[in-house]
Amino acid sequence: MNIPLPMFVVVPLVAAFVLPAFGRRLKPLATLIANLVTLFLLVLAVASVGTPAVYEVGGWSIPLGINMVLDGLSSLLLLAISVVSAAAMLFSARYMEQYTAKPKYLSLFLLMVAGMNGVVLSGDIFNLYVFLEIASIASYALVGFGCEHEELEASFKYMVLGSIASAFILFGVALVYANTGSLNMAYIADAIGRMGTNVGLTLALSLFIAGFGLKAALVPFHAWLPDAHPSAPAPISAMLSGVLIKALGVYALARLIFNLFGVSVALGWLLVGLGLASMIAGGLLAIGQWDFKRLLAYSSISQIGYVILGLGLGALLMAQNANPAWAALAILGGLFHLANHAVYKSLLFLTSGSVELATGTREMRKMGGLGDRMPVTRAACAVASASIAGVPPFPGFWSKLILVIAAVQAGFYWIAVAIVAVAVCTLIMYLKVHRYVFLGELPPDLQTVRENKGSILFAMAGLTCVCALMGLLVLVPSLRSSVLDPAVSVLTDGVQSSTHLMSP
Amino acid sequence: MDTILLYPVFIPLAVGFVLLFLPRRATPLFKAVTLVVSLLAFVCSVLILSRGEGSYHWSILELGAFRLDLLLSAAPLGSFILMFAMGFGVLITLYSLNSRAPIARSNEYYGSILLTIGGAAGILLSNHLLFLLIFWEIVTASLYILISTGGKSSNFAATKSFAMIGVSDAGFLLGVGIVWTLAGTFVISDISVATTSALPIIAFLLLMLAAITKAGAMPLHTWVPAGGEYAPTSVMALLPAALDKLLGIYLLVLIVKSLFTLDPNGPLTTVLAVIGAATIVIAVMIAMVQHNLKKLLSYHAVSQVGYMILGIATLTPVGIAGGVFHMLNNAIYKCCLFLCGGAVEEATGTADLERLGGLGAKMPLTFISCLIAALSISGIPPLNGFASKWMVYQGVVQMGQTQSSAGAGLWPVWLVAAMFGSALTLASFVKILHSVFLSRSPDALRDVKEVPWAQTLPMLVLACLCVVFGVFYEGPLRWFIFPALGITDGPAIFIGSWNSILATVLLLIGVGVGVGVLWIAAFAKKVRIVPTWTCGEIQRNDDMIIPGTHFYKTISSMGGLKQMYGGQERGYFDLYNQGGRVGLVLTGMLRWLHTGVLPMYLTWVTLGLLVVLLCLVAGIW
Amino acid sequence: MAYTLCFLLFMIGLYCAVVKKNMVKIVLGIMIMEYAVNLFLIMLGYFHDGVAPIIDRSEFDAQTQTVTAQFLNSSVDPLPQALVLTSIVISLGSLALLISICIRTYEKYGTFDITEIRRLRG
Repeated sequence: MNIPLPMFVVVPLVAAFVLPAFGRRLKPLATLIANLVTLFLLVLAVASVGTPAVYEVGGWSIPLGINMVLDGLSSLLLLAISVVSAAAMLFSARYMEQYTAKPKYLSLFLLMVAGMNGVVLSGDIFNLYVFLEIASIASYALVGFGCEHEELEASFKYMVLGSIASAFILFGVALVYANTGSLNMAYIADAIGRMGTNVGLTLALSLFIAGFGLKAALVPFHAWLPDAHPSAPAPISAMLSGVLIKALGVYALARLIFNLFGVSVALGWLLVGLGLASMIAGGLLAIGQWDFKRLLAYSSISQIGYVILGLGLGALLMAQNANPAWAALAILGGLFHLANHAVYKSLLFLTSGSVELATGTREMRKMGGLGDRMPVTRAACAVASASIAGVPPFPGFWSKLILVIAAVQAGFYWIAVAIVAVAVCTLIMYLKVHRYVFLGELPPDLQTVRENKGSILFAMAGLTCVCALMGLLVLVPSLRSSVLDPAVSVLTDGVQSSTHLMSP
Repeated sequence: MDTILLYPVFIPLAVGFVLLFLPRRATPLFKAVTLVVSLLAFVCSVLILSRGEGSYHWSILELGAFRLDLLLSAAPLGSFILMFAMGFGVLITLYSLNSRAPIARSNEYYGSILLTIGGAAGILLSNHLLFLLIFWEIVTASLYILISTGGKSSNFAATKSFAMIGVSDAGFLLGVGIVWTLAGTFVISDISVATTSALPIIAFLLLMLAAITKAGAMPLHTWVPAGGEYAPTSVMALLPAALDKLLGIYLLVLIVKSLFTLDPNGPLTTVLAVIGAATIVIAVMIAMVQHNLKKLLSYHAVSQVGYMILGIATLTPVGIAGGVFHMLNNAIYKCCLFLCGGAVEEATGTADLERLGGLGAKMPLTFISCLIAALSISGIPPLNGFASKWMVYQGVVQMGQTQSSAGAGLWPVWLVAAMFGSALTLASFVKILHSVFLSRSPDALRDVKEVPWAQTLPMLVLACLCVVFGVFYEGPLRWFIFPALGITDGPAIFIGSWNSILATVLLLIGVGVGVGVLWIAAFAKKVRIVPTWTCGEIQRNDDMIIPGTHFYKTISSMGGLKQMYGGQERGYFDLYNQGGRVGLVLTGMLRWLHTGVLPMYLTWVTLGLLVVLLCLVAGIW
Repeated sequence: MAYTLCFLLFMIGLYCAVVKKNMVKIVLGIMIMEYAVNLFLIMLGYFHDGVAPIIDRSEFDAQTQTVTAQFLNSSVDPLPQALVLTSIVISLGSLALLISICIRTYEKYGTFDITEIRRLRG
């Protein structure tokens, strides 16, 4: 089936502009419409799997016009975005009742989804920047949605750092245009391939790495994340940690490095270094946290480190002209971990929201014994924690296993040691969550706690099923060859996968 | 293609996984399902053992050189241990069916018992290292769930167990990865790596760490006593006492005999021997001074692993056979002891030795089974504990005679440690028997009754097995252990000879003569029994109890040892606590850097940009 | 030379954002950075004596549907101008949000000093 690609952007964008007009009376209708939009996008994303497509906006062919490209990598990200946003939207239906101005929230939510979809579909780097800004600005506003002390503080810090990253990226775009004379990815890749790299492009690349690295919250660009993600309402935290940092950060970084600039040994080591730093620092920082959502936020930094490590290892092996299967395995591990992390981290944030709604606190030392009162939340959290900690047969185990195998296969035993050590850190932090939140004794002031109802449960249950079955994505050959393998080959083909789109 | 190999693995796993998520109201259903499935697994395991060799192969994943196949095969060692493991599963299920203590989360309890059974079957049948690892972790995770179904503070014990075993499992994964690069395959029966260079030695040590942590040997043993104190008794009887030992020692034998070719004169056997000997002595020293019945038993569960490791470390046929036999015997008597401990706790409501006493007459069946198991664990002939310890001792002597490594030269040390440990075990069981069953009964325990049949039956079965495996020790050796290890049977493998049947007959005659003398003496003169005369003062019954808890106070207050015991109490020697402290310091430092000051974060970003730029510029030129 | 000045302006903005403690000044610094980039983009398309890229009827050949080569060579690149327009709109939106959050934060904390607004740390 041939999907009209602009639908991914236009539908949520239109809905986002219509919804704020709905008043208090029409709030349920607004919620329904927003949910239908995310569901529609989910159906669209599933239907688009395995059908690479190019759409030329306004009928203008490149390099004159703008194009949208759907390839394997984009469709993996689209799937992740639409699954997580459908679940988060369903969760919001009940969860956001505690806030005023729900239609505005729904509008910002859909704006963010439109921005992310635009980023992963965009075929030229300036549009990528524009969509990135749309998604970012919506997320700044959503982080500060509560308008209390901490929300505003987090939002301001996030916004300052994010704006500087955007300035970096725009500067990078300008430098690339100056040096290659084009903004279309295919033509840029072709130009860089022909003329090689120079000072301007090197500066542009480092600006991109810093800018997108900040959006992806890699150490040392991570400082906004542990403030911003916990402060947002829970479904937004799920969106931010689950997909925003991936679509805006990891995806853009991978696209630029692999498909535009081409890999080099230095780049590979740089990514491996950033990944390792994020994994270790994020993991250690998370263990010491007592705020439920802050712990999850630091754990996101650590998990993004795994993804970047996998991609960096792949880039390194490609640049060293090692066995192509080795690089493909590392990249497969990274991308599969990306997909897994999208699902289980958003599920964890949803459970944290459910716990916060029921108890009114995020401080883990004030909780305990909630497992008996909130069985569904506990089951969801247990599945997600088992997955993120790498307990087989849950998907997190497979992605970490693939990364370990890729590392030892290439002879980087110390990287395998780091992967395994951080996996232990992850296990310990989630044991801590369960020990203090769900097991133990119910404190006196929480005796009346009840499980949440309605859409909150459905959202968590649905995402739990997805999380438990994610392993099939790599274990079932037909699923792997339709979802993950095309995404991997987009990256392993390097600049080839961009330049083949050039008009003859 | 033997599909029967799939049944004991995947039926319990699937059913257990479903049970975990069912609402907990349907407890009778859970009980019935668990009993049926565990019996089914047991029947399958018997069939597998009786059919002999067979295998099942299903190719799942192929990514370049990385292949993942579900490869199950009935190897002699695995299928023999499998039968016993499934047998223990049935016994434990039976025991928990009628347990009077309410199980807090019955869905999780029965679900994870089935997961454990299935995972154990998977470990024992798997011929693929990665699948072995997967089943291994499933057992770890279900241990966590099982311990957390206990009462207060069980969340602490569960977390500790999972964290410690999780660390060793991570090492396992790493070791498997290294073995794969060295051998080029995951198929266990095809792997044989020489331990001559650094990488294979590291892999060996990592896998060994995983095996001994699961089995509960030092240095990562502290999860066993923590679990023992807080977990439900049946859980402790099933996992750390029985199944985890079987699995851990199975893996150790696999590593030593199949995955790696160990040089008898190399340093690795010495490492194993040191771990074994240290575990025997230190754990039993700690056990002696414990006041909690279940915690004391847990420390013995640690101590006994030392014998198995020591036996395997000798690399002699009799030593390895002794180690494996000891594993089996230990599972039998330790399971029995934990069940007795659980019965006592259930009947009286406490496991504190100071508040128990005089239960011998009130719970005779529990007393008899506990007595037999206690004598057996202390290595009293002709019970099974003696038979296997005797083989381990012979293995140690043989190691000294035939090998030339540093470890072999120190064989008298290992031997003394093992025998000393055995003596101390007896000493601490004297304490238990005295304070629980023999001394004067406190008033609070006046109405104690024997536990119901579903709980006494497993204990009695296990106690009988202790006797049978001791008196007719050649049976299990000849039928199961020698074929499983590929040892050709014959008298030549034993140095010392031990005719247990003759000894048993003589012992029984001795006991008979003694009873006869008593009987005759009772006839000869009627004895008048009167209360003790206390100068007319009335003594409260509870004041007249001589508790066993102070038996070895002299040892724990000796200079030097006193400080060690104190440090042990406070967790100074616990790697979990110390690792936690190091982690907290590291985290604290990193958290201190995140001051919340925005300009600092901006500085990081700017510096990060500069570093990236420098890296890329350096990469070009 | 002009490019160097743009770069210098970008650096001034970055310096301002990193070093200043006042929230409003940080916002100003970010805006200086964005305008430096905008300026840079405009400079990319511009050359001395270039004409505006608006096609006059005299430059357009209706029969061949092409523009004369002389016009193509003398007009400046129109693409960066389109980019800058977009970019200005985006930075306007982001500036509005930044300033409004500044004001709300000031209402809550009573200060503009960002080093004192640090409830979230660790």
